[in-house]
Amino acid sequence: MLEQQLVNGLTLGVIYALIAVGYTMVYGVIELINFAHGEVYMIGAFLCVTFITALGLPFYVSMLLAMGCAAGIGVTIDRVAYKPLRASPRLAVLITAIGMSIFLQNLAMIIWGSRPVPFPQDAVPAYLKETAFTFSGVHLTWLQLFIFAVTFSMMLLLYVIINHTRMGTAMRALAQNRTCSQLMGVNVNRVIAFTFALGSSMGAVAGVLVAVYYNTLSPTMGYVAGVKAFAAAVLGGIGSVPGAMLGGIVLGIAEALGAGYVSSLYRDGVAYAVLIAVIIFRPSGLLGKALVEKA
Amino acid sequence: MPKKFLLPLFLAVALVFPLLPFANDYVLHVVTLVMVYMVLAMGLNVLPGFCGLLDLGFVGFYGVGAYTAGLLTVHYGVSLWIMVPAAVLNGALWGVVLGAPTLRLSGDYFAIVTFGFAELVVLFLTNEIWLTRGPLGLPGIDPVSVDLSFLNPAWIYEFEGERPYFYLGLAMLALVYVTMRRLEDSRLGRAWLAIREDQLAAASCGVNIYAYKIIAFGISAGVGALAGCFFARWTLFLSPDMFKFWESFLILCMVVLGGLGNIHGAMVGAAILIALGEVLRVVLPQLGLPNEARFLVYGLIMIFIMRFKPKGFFPKIAAAGEANPLIKRLRAQLEQHGGTSR
Amino acid sequence: MTAPAPLLKVDQVYKRFGGLMALTDVSFDIMPGRIQGLIGPNGAGKTTIFNCITGVYKPTQGEILLTPPPASGTTAESIRINGKKPDKVVALGIARTFQNIRLFSSLTVLDNVRIGRHCRTSSNLVGAMLRLGSQRREEATIIDASMKWLKFVGLERHALAPASSLSYGDQRRLEIARALATEPALLLLDEPAAGMNPRETADLDQLIHAILDEGVTVLLIEHDMKLVMKICEQLIVLDHGERIAYGPPAAIKDDPKVVEAYLGRGAAHA
Repeated sequence: MLEQQLVNGLTLGVIYALIAVGYTMVYGVIELINFAHGEVYMIGAFLCVTFITALGLPFYVSMLLAMGCAAGIGVTIDRVAYKPLRASPRLAVLITAIGMSIFLQNLAMIIWGSRPVPFPQDAVPAYLKETAFTFSGVHLTWLQLFIFAVTFSMMLLLYVIINHTRMGTAMRALAQNRTCSQLMGVNVNRVIAFTFALGSSMGAVAGVLVAVYYNTLSPTMGYVAGVKAFAAAVLGGIGSVPGAMLGGIVLGIAEALGAGYVSSLYRDGVAYAVLIAVIIFRPSGLLGKALVEKA
Repeated sequence: MPKKFLLPLFLAVALVFPLLPFANDYVLHVVTLVMVYMVLAMGLNVLPGFCGLLDLGFVGFYGVGAYTAGLLTVHYGVSLWIMVPAAVLNGALWGVVLGAPTLRLSGDYFAIVTFGFAELVVLFLTNEIWLTRGPLGLPGIDPVSVDLSFLNPAWIYEFEGERPYFYLGLAMLALVYVTMRRLEDSRLGRAWLAIREDQLAAASCGVNIYAYKIIAFGISAGVGALAGCFFARWTLFLSPDMFKFWESFLILCMVVLGGLGNIHGAMVGAAILIALGEVLRVVLPQLGLPNEARFLVYGLIMIFIMRFKPKGFFPKIAAAGEANPLIKRLRAQLEQHGGTSR
Repeated sequence: MTAPAPLLKVDQVYKRFGGLMALTDVSFDIMPGRIQGLIGPNGAGKTTIFNCITGVYKPTQGEILLTPPPASGTTAESIRINGKKPDKVVALGIARTFQNIRLFSSLTVLDNVRIGRHCRTSSNLVGAMLRLGSQRREEATIIDASMKWLKFVGLERHALAPASSLSYGDQRRLEIARALATEPALLLLDEPAAGMNPRETADLDQLIHAILDEGVTVLLIEHDMKLVMKICEQLIVLDHGERIAYGPPAAIKDDPKVVEAYLGRGAAHA
């Protein structure tokens, strides 16, 4: 079933792309691997579930709310942990990011328990689980179509924001040269906060989509997905938004094919192997520029 | 108390410690564990502490060393004299193989590659059941036996209980400590510190940055593997779960707590966090929290140290080589001439 | 009497960054035993030349040739150094300082200079681990040599203080001491007087002459024209990546192209 594998891989791939964009945008503006991004993705999914179960809100509303909250969390992480260290050595910020990631993961474990929980099925609109098309033996559910639709509209929105708004221009300027942007009147901290908000809300969407797709969520889900999305970002060329999208899709398909044809035991290993291989053989990724040590 | 009595006093206490009445098996076990982590923390410290490189996969080398030792004993019954160098070399080799292509790139990539490597090690140990028995773990590792029968047929000593492991661990700790102190205060160590401080300036002093980073990575990995080797022959059981990312994080937290680049700090950090772990293991269940929640505390420690005490809780009082007799003499001369030394 | 061979020959060097030509056809010779200056308005490509000579950048085109001093032990007549890495270039006898001081700021003053000795010493991993006799002797000579250079720049009193605790002028001197500790034949100073007060600048003038007396050739980038005119025997003037003048200070001063570069078109005719 090569075609089915490809479709499943593509579904997973666009979700990776959605998370990867968050990594890549933050890297673009402050050159930091925000390890806590995977945790924001996980918290987004849990918040959505909490809104459904505790407040009885409908699925779509909960998802939008989760996006908003995740944006707030992303900005808070930056304010509390990273912003005070803007002038510190990069090692210090990187260590803080790791600490933040572990902290949030365990906080989630304390709040929501360490066991995986199912996504409340009653809340999910019933048609999402039905097959939309069957095309020469390949099943495509409404949920998969929904995932594609959401992802592509978010990507389109992102494209418009980055290329056709003042904020987007400021983000691109910041990626080129922070000091210079500052001198040109760019409010650096506002742009950074906006980047975190944007990336985090997209991460939260991805978290919700994954939780519905697999019908499970757990505090550790951000860890693996985070690494994979990061691998996607590197594969596409870190700092490049179209690269992150492409990287996510390529990685999702590679993983599905690897699990299907090589060994399902090493499913997660595909991402790590791709990550290491890309860094070693083509550090610039598919669409980016190499980060050779700045002497 | 004069500083020079500190080390002998410490050694004397350590030597007598296992003979004291309150030193039961539990206490000895925990203290030995502290020593293993002190070695690990010192090994990791070489990268982020001396060279300014973040290694997120240190536990991978610990695992490589442990499984090398474990498998060599289980399958081949290899003697200690061959096993230790083999495990250390295997660890160091992986460090060099992994470092060679990645250390030319920005440090961020290095962090990620090490992370990926450690994850692959765990996957390998879990899935290659024919070799490692996978998640079931590897039991039946023989305890350490010191075989000096080539000198005298009667000189074979089988380790039993915690006490001999305590002494073996102490010997390992002393060896690594002395090595680290010597490396830190040498041409090699200064080159590492120069790289950490400013790569371009280091290159302008003739330091081959790439080569020195690879040496650092090899040494760090070798020390990790040495600790793994001891761990395997001490706990007599290995499982892939023991070498997950949490361990790397814990060790990094020890180094950060003690102050990056501070050898003594790394050891203090190891002692504090292991003790804290033991305490939390009792306290957390009483609060109705899972045992893993202790990492919440470790995560917070890391964030707070970086924010408020980036040099750790034990900032280096003395510069490298403070104990170096040449520097001491120089200080004395300078003070004699009324110079300011600080 | 034949003229001595140039110590360094920069021959038709080009450096391009993407679409920007930072250096175009730059050539000059550095004669041994002299102080020479590299001047030009901001962005003229002065530091780019330094970076090309020291191996930070690889010239897009052109040659940089070093005639190794007899003391270096190499017998080759001239060595191509363009494309060599910075650590190899310094080993061949070219040391530098940086426009924006780059010290190992959390290390001691002495350690900064000791690291400068790196390329002239050789003890390795095994030596350090076993504290071999050769290693211990080498450590002692490193300290002696480092203290000698610290005395030379007048910082020996601060040897064990952190480098970051020094005053700005002293940090500049420390950077010079660190560069001298590599035993260069040619020392490149990038704006050594920047940010110094007149007294410190006067001291620097003396220091540069003392460096010359040690047998070290000096090439400096400097904006302090009074200092440049006073101490340099030969000047190279760059503007927009091109060499616009080359000669003794007296001749340079009245060169209309130089005046124009500094003061703008029209000034030369005024």
